[in-house]
Amino acid sequence: MPQTRAVSARLARLRLASSTTPGKLVAVGIGVLLGAVLFGLVAIAVVGDRRDAAHAVSSDSEPLLAHAVGLYASLSDADATAATTFLTGGLEPLARRQRYTADLQAGARDAAALTASVRGSVAASESVVAVSENLPVYAGLVETARADNRAGLPVGAAYLREASALLQTAILPDVGVLYAFAAGRLQAGYSSGTGGFGLIAVIAVAVAYLAVFVLAQRWLASATRRRVNDGLLAATGLLVLLSAWVLVALVFQQNALGRAQHSGSDPVEALSATRILASRAQSDQSLTLVARGGDQQHPADFDAVILALTGARGGLLALEASVSHNGTSIKRLASDLNAYRAQSAALDALVAQGEVERAVQEEIAAGAGGRSPADVLDAELASRISAAQVSFSSAAEDARTALSGLGPGIPLTVLAIAALALAGIGRRLREYA
Amino acid sequence: MSLRTWSTIALATLALSGCAGTSSRVSRASLSALATPVATVSTPSRPTPPAPQTCGNPLASLTPPATLPAPGHMPRHTYMAAIARRGRLVAGVDQNSFLFAYFNPTDGQIEGFEIDLLKQIAKAIFSDETRIAFKAVTTAQRLGAVQSGGVDVVADAVTITCARRRQVAFSAVYYNAAQRLLVPRSSRVGSLAALGGRRVCATTGSTTIVNIENARPRPVPYAVPQRTDCLVALQQGRVDAISSDDPILLGFAAQDPNVKVVGPVISPQPYGMAISLAHPEFVRFVNGVLAKLRADGIWARIYAHWLGRYTGATVPPPPTPVYSG
Repeated sequence: MPQTRAVSARLARLRLASSTTPGKLVAVGIGVLLGAVLFGLVAIAVVGDRRDAAHAVSSDSEPLLAHAVGLYASLSDADATAATTFLTGGLEPLARRQRYTADLQAGARDAAALTASVRGSVAASESVVAVSENLPVYAGLVETARADNRAGLPVGAAYLREASALLQTAILPDVGVLYAFAAGRLQAGYSSGTGGFGLIAVIAVAVAYLAVFVLAQRWLASATRRRVNDGLLAATGLLVLLSAWVLVALVFQQNALGRAQHSGSDPVEALSATRILASRAQSDQSLTLVARGGDQQHPADFDAVILALTGARGGLLALEASVSHNGTSIKRLASDLNAYRAQSAALDALVAQGEVERAVQEEIAAGAGGRSPADVLDAELASRISAAQVSFSSAAEDARTALSGLGPGIPLTVLAIAALALAGIGRRLREYA
Repeated sequence: MSLRTWSTIALATLALSGCAGTSSRVSRASLSALATPVATVSTPSRPTPPAPQTCGNPLASLTPPATLPAPGHMPRHTYMAAIARRGRLVAGVDQNSFLFAYFNPTDGQIEGFEIDLLKQIAKAIFSDETRIAFKAVTTAQRLGAVQSGGVDVVADAVTITCARRRQVAFSAVYYNAAQRLLVPRSSRVGSLAALGGRRVCATTGSTTIVNIENARPRPVPYAVPQRTDCLVALQQGRVDAISSDDPILLGFAAQDPNVKVVGPVISPQPYGMAISLAHPEFVRFVNGVLAKLRADGIWARIYAHWLGRYTGATVPPPPTPVYSG
């Protein structure tokens, strides 16, 4: 009972104190401190989140995506190269052989890198294991096909078909799972790196804190008949500056991330899909010629792939046009693709006339210098993918550096704001001492 | 006032942040394009079972002339004269039947038993066996190519049947093929009857696969799009046997010393050269050439050259021709 009385007495004294001017000054000081802590914590948290997201996008999600589409493209090119090389018979051009080997090695490197990065997902982990298990089987089938071809045995063509079927119907669908996983993770990174919620929170806290200063100065002006409190005014100015810095940096950072997506990862995805399908078309065309007129499956697949590339609603080319900001570059790509289609139509016409041998010779001659329409298209797409990856890296770097000064900047400036404000209030308070 | 400024900045930044979120659109479109399903061979409608059409003896072909015109001197107004004017014989062939008709990657030539027979026809017209152009024809195309005049003659393992004789004319039989079995050397299977419940490979849509399905006890048919795919399936242990015409099986045996052709004839497959119904004089001419090849021992020489090593037996006598009309 006496304790309760003591507490209520203390509360009463506090109420009395807060109704006096010095009491109110102390309350304002406490408000300024609390505001500094709140503003500082929110700004640090939001900036930290954004920085983590930008960091994850550039050093985690994007490399993951690059490995996934790289694996997809390497294996597709390996398949097309193996089939095209097979046409030349037992004596393979060294450059083609090296290209096949380099593709397989690049694929193995990508698969190894993916193994480490997809541990979090069961489906992706299973897929990368399946890819790693099937790759040696694929390579074995291709080598059997080569050995038979060198020995002049027609069964080599059947092994080559078997290898291609394994790649296209078992391995690549697993790589597709990895690609979908990587694309999803990158999208999540973009979302958390550009999310509006953090920005709104910073703005709300900054506005509230600014309101504390404005109200405090208005009250001080009326209560003490002094127009200006230097400390509070300086603190207000500093708060405005810091808020502006944080907001400008956040906007700059999310714009940079947007750029990383629009001129980086989006084109990488669309161009890679085009490159992969172009390789598949080339596999189909070569396998059709390898079968020397006995094949209905690969011509049908070729048509389906061309439809996906240029299709009813524009296919992948239309997608590229929608993510590209350069109309002429799309025209160049479309004309490369048209050159490729014209060449394969000419080969088709020869095959339809029973002139398989001439078609094969023309295909070999076209690819002799590594400058066949398929090679030109592939090289064009590969260089664009590299360019888009460079755009991505520089934009992602911008996104990271935009926030780098804020790490120490926010706590130091908030401390300065609180110190200036308290100094200003303390001067008034001393007048009552 | 400051509040208004802040809210303007807030709205502007919100508008900017709204730009993100198209990646899923690009990813979705890319993924759906990449997921274009791999085309499969549509199973052709089951070949009509040899309808009980009667055409007398289906193997009976037109009687050859008593003497063949000398090479380079084809009688006027005959189809042979038209071929001679054109400068080359156009023949439709397969390119995947090892030893019978196949593309040899080491010398870039189409070679084999059927190819050499066709060259002899060119030789009889031009006295030059290189005056011949080979066109690759698929099983589905081969009779149509003859009917349309795209090729002068097809020698592509075409079994003579009454149904086909309504579409094209046939030469006398140039090879008596038979549907048989190919098994690993270690296998003790000796006939189709021993393969009940086991996997037997054949080409999708072929008459062979119908014979497998009709066998009792019933084997499990394993259909592949192309003939040589069967050898891969056997080498990888996915099937216990391959059933096909013996020239194809001999071609497999020639590519792999670990397999053997076994069992009795499941069904006879007499091969004839297909020629347009519009050119009976050319059918007679070809029959004359074939008769000469049999008589001169050239047929036997060609057989020995391509198939002798793998049949293991002496060269069989050439097929006996049946003529009528």
